[in-house]
Amino acid sequence: MMDPDALDRALFALPLEEPPADLRAAILTSTAFRPAPPFSVFEVAALGALTAVILWLVVLIAMGGGGLFLNTLSAIAATIQSALTNVALLAWLTAGAATAFWLSIFTGSQPFAAVAQRFGRRTSR
Amino acid sequence: MSVLAEAPRIERLRAGPEDGELVAMTLRGNPEAFAALVERYDRAVYHLAYRTLHDVEDARDATQEAFFKAFRSLRTFKPGAKFSTWIFAIAYHACCDRLNRRKRYSSEELPDRADASAGPEQQAISLDEAQRLRTAIDSLPEKYRTVITLYHLQGRQYEEIAKVLDLPMGTVKTHLFRAKEQLRRLLGGAEVTES
Repeated sequence: MMDPDALDRALFALPLEEPPADLRAAILTSTAFRPAPPFSVFEVAALGALTAVILWLVVLIAMGGGGLFLNTLSAIAATIQSALTNVALLAWLTAGAATAFWLSIFTGSQPFAAVAQRFGRRTSR
Repeated sequence: MSVLAEAPRIERLRAGPEDGELVAMTLRGNPEAFAALVERYDRAVYHLAYRTLHDVEDARDATQEAFFKAFRSLRTFKPGAKFSTWIFAIAYHACCDRLNRRKRYSSEELPDRADASAGPEQQAISLDEAQRLRTAIDSLPEKYRTVITLYHLQGRQYEEIAKVLDLPMGTVKTHLFRAKEQLRRLLGGAEVTES
């Protein structure tokens, strides 16, 4: 029988299996160096919504609904106008914005700065 | 030369920043740090996968899957833990999944069963020492083979081997003792018996 120490020496001297040549590259491209998707989920959702609105407008106009389209636009404009002339609504919006700003000062959370930084990082890639 | 002086492979791989630091750097958004970890351990993980699965493609897939899972769950890695133990445990589980799948779809070798190939001693006669040892390791039952492979990769750190295999340390020591006994018999040309 083989000597125990000799077996240990033989075991530790045993070379590791040689992995396939492209294994490391395959691991890295599926993990740390995975190419960033061209669009984020949010961007895809925004793009989808925009496409749906454009499609809706095209169909509306093509079906002779120009008048209806103008009526819809004027209804939307009227709603916005009435909202912006509503003092109570404006007061709530101002209060909300001021609270968010105040919290960002005390908590250190800078959402706009974070968004700007993220955008800068993506463009620098 | 003392056996203890024979540095395990993992120790030799430890050049540069500590694994924990590389994990932290990866989490801070440095992909090169993860690349360094891959460079350190891909060969060892592949070795473990190949020794467990005996198939180049399966071993390759299991290695890739292990690193992918590790990368995805890097945040769950405990700072004080050993990265080698963690990645070996992930790889071992990936291998077990593959072995279980084989069990479902075929009658290939499964854990706790010895290789059916007869006469490793006969094959070993004309091979060199490393090949003889490999052949002998391959002929061990799966549970012993894995323990021997991890012993080879992690040195004498029984606790780490026990963590990877999720077995009590006593069981690991018993498996290792029996595995070595069988190896010694195989390499010495004696008859091997399943224990």
